[in-house]
Amino acid sequence: MTTAQIDMPEVLIVGSGAGGAMAAYELTRNGHKVLLLEAGRDYDPKKETPMFKLNGDAPLMGAATPDKDFGFYDATIDGGWQVPNEPYTSAQGSEFMWWRARMLGGRTNHWGRYALRFSEHDFKGKSRDGLGADWPFEYKDIAPWYDKTEALVGVCGTNTGLDDMPPSPDGVLQPPPQPRVPELLVAAAAKKLGIPVVPMHRAVLTRPLDNRAACFYATPCGHGCSIGAAFQTTTSLLPMAKATGLLEVRTDAMVKSVTTDDKGQVTGVSYIDKKTGAEHSVTAKVVILAASACESARLLLNSKTDKYPQGLANSSGQVGKNLMDSTGANIGALVPALQGRPIYNEDGHTANHLFIPWWGHQAQAEKKLDFPRGYHFELGGRFGEPGANIDTSLQGYGKELKQQVKHKYGAYVSFALRGEMLPNPECYMDIDPEVKDKWGIPVARFHWKWSEHELKQIAHGLKTAKDILTLMGAEVGELPTPEQAILKGGQIIHEVGTTRMGASKTDSVTNQWGQSWDCPNLFVMDGGVFASNPHKNCTLTIMTLAMRNSSWLSTQLKQGAL
Amino acid sequence: MSHKPEQGEALQTYQTNMTRRQSLKLMAALAASSMLPALSGCDTAPPATKTAAPTTALTGALTEEHWPDLKLAPLTGPGYGTDPNLILPPESPWPLTLTPAQLGLLALVADILVPREGAVPSASEVGVPTVLDEWVSAPYPRQQQDRVTVLSALAWLDDEATMRFGSRFTGLKRPQQLAIIDDIAFDNADTKPQFRRMTKAFALLRGLVVAAFFATPEGTKDIGYVGNTAIGGDYPGPTPAAKAHLDKILSELGLQEFAWKA
Repeated sequence: MTTAQIDMPEVLIVGSGAGGAMAAYELTRNGHKVLLLEAGRDYDPKKETPMFKLNGDAPLMGAATPDKDFGFYDATIDGGWQVPNEPYTSAQGSEFMWWRARMLGGRTNHWGRYALRFSEHDFKGKSRDGLGADWPFEYKDIAPWYDKTEALVGVCGTNTGLDDMPPSPDGVLQPPPQPRVPELLVAAAAKKLGIPVVPMHRAVLTRPLDNRAACFYATPCGHGCSIGAAFQTTTSLLPMAKATGLLEVRTDAMVKSVTTDDKGQVTGVSYIDKKTGAEHSVTAKVVILAASACESARLLLNSKTDKYPQGLANSSGQVGKNLMDSTGANIGALVPALQGRPIYNEDGHTANHLFIPWWGHQAQAEKKLDFPRGYHFELGGRFGEPGANIDTSLQGYGKELKQQVKHKYGAYVSFALRGEMLPNPECYMDIDPEVKDKWGIPVARFHWKWSEHELKQIAHGLKTAKDILTLMGAEVGELPTPEQAILKGGQIIHEVGTTRMGASKTDSVTNQWGQSWDCPNLFVMDGGVFASNPHKNCTLTIMTLAMRNSSWLSTQLKQGAL
Repeated sequence: MSHKPEQGEALQTYQTNMTRRQSLKLMAALAASSMLPALSGCDTAPPATKTAAPTTALTGALTEEHWPDLKLAPLTGPGYGTDPNLILPPESPWPLTLTPAQLGLLALVADILVPREGAVPSASEVGVPTVLDEWVSAPYPRQQQDRVTVLSALAWLDDEATMRFGSRFTGLKRPQQLAIIDDIAFDNADTKPQFRRMTKAFALLRGLVVAAFFATPEGTKDIGYVGNTAIGGDYPGPTPAAKAHLDKILSELGLQEFAWKA
């Protein structure tokens, strides 16, 4: 992407993913000159997305490898669980997985596009059960910004009226796609247990929007979307911001530290041009960090000076703390009733059309559950494209073998649990005292331990999924223990909380606007600011906060407050 | 026993550095000309006492448990990297490593697993052995692990064939080949103890062959996948036949009254 050259930018943004691109969009729309730095390479989904490409045309039938952790065609470039030459470490006894992308648009190029609003319930968990932290605003404060974000991003779904899913105004949501047979079977079995199954909200267009086409129901969204139906910043916010002429994007720019003057005022950033290895300094009135929760926290901790000995913006000591991911567990089974069913095109928008939202608020209020926070199930199972799924449970050979495969085709149903975890003192990140990356920048070190809250939630989820599958006629067998079933910290790629916002500078890093308590011209606009991590996937709320807080920042700039 | 590449006359022109599509074409040509079932990958004859099996009996001599002790150096070349071209995937991302003899045996076994059925081609006709060659030659941990299992399974087949019938697997008559396959293709209570290890290894080989077959255009058509095609307008959802089947199973499962409503 070629961009304008901006002299004397007012605002510097670090990162071009959900938060950074939204900030660039909102600020340029309001007339501010912006310089955006992205650590990865330039990327154009219109030219680079493998639309309609078959697994059989890829090496290893498209299988996941350490070079491409989510399969050959996954959109992620120079990233995944490891970034070449940019390691991270885990403290002894801890295991944490950190997904990064080094490309324009960051992780928005491959994300699941699940786009569920948080509710008042989610923002005020501590007031309710005394655990974790409340957010420093009410749902009604952010609701209008969810409306604007959903309309801009394009989200399909319905207003379900359920307490876990606050409604959008009429006309904001686009119609969801028709559900498919496995989902409809799950829905009936779940309903018998009093569990709702409703259309998922996804940032996938089912109607055209701006210059983006509606979904044509082919090609997995994780490959990226050249027609712009599945939201990613590289086909939407970044081109829109660029069109104002007020945005300059520099790719391959790895920010090393945030710079400050003698008074402690933030002056800009120092970055390394990855193509030449040369270090550059750029200055601006305001710096926005949107490099991802842990990358932004790493930057702050690495921006130590005499005035800020524990790192920038860290007088509270909370930078790097309160690290949260979503809980995750997978359970599935072959459903005999689905074997040999009539085949039709079940690609749909390639993720679940129906899902199970959290239904247990009331039970938790009545203290009927032994865990405090909710979860949802994403449903899987369809006539998918054949690929590198190596089934070692097949028997025999010849004609009968092929019959077995065909009989099983489209008969496997899976439940992916995604739940809310609470922050705990054993889950945090700091800077590894020894290890540096290729650019000489000290790397992040992770500390991790699930608490009883998460394990009990997983146990409940496993049992519930088993109950539903059993009603569907499936043989589930003995369940794993929650300790066996829970996925690793970071593995759901919803890591947030490392620069949390709050009502007081003593226990939070930013105020409700993402503005550093310590440095008023420093903002954080990624998932780091989350005060809690509701089960609903973080990206929609990252974008909504970035829009709201950039709008507020624009007002401050115009008033000369910064 | 050790297993080294062995080159047969019929396959001396086989090129291991060919590209994906060239090699698929060649495999199809080889299969069609019945040149493949020529050689196996075992160059060390098992002990003479074990080769005395009568070749006339259909099931052959009873063998004891055995397992080839392959000494495989790890493949350490580069993979396709973290930024491969996704529009034009690399056709030959790493050197293929199977010998012509191993490919010949693999093609034979792949076609026992997935034979031609009418107009639907067999596994070797659509290049499955080459896909497996790419798989076991890949410098990634999962594939390196599978490489040991697959190569051991191939060597085992020749060892077993030699012990039972006095010839390598590809040189056996079809009923003799199937007698061996019958012993290792079913993992259940009747699996004989001496075949259990091979039965597990064979399950992986079978899983790979099946996946590689159905991932070809012919296999994908055969399984009935009808997606990956652009739909104009709204996604139509289940067909009337699919809906009728759903209604039937909801009724059988006693779930009809709970059927989903938009």
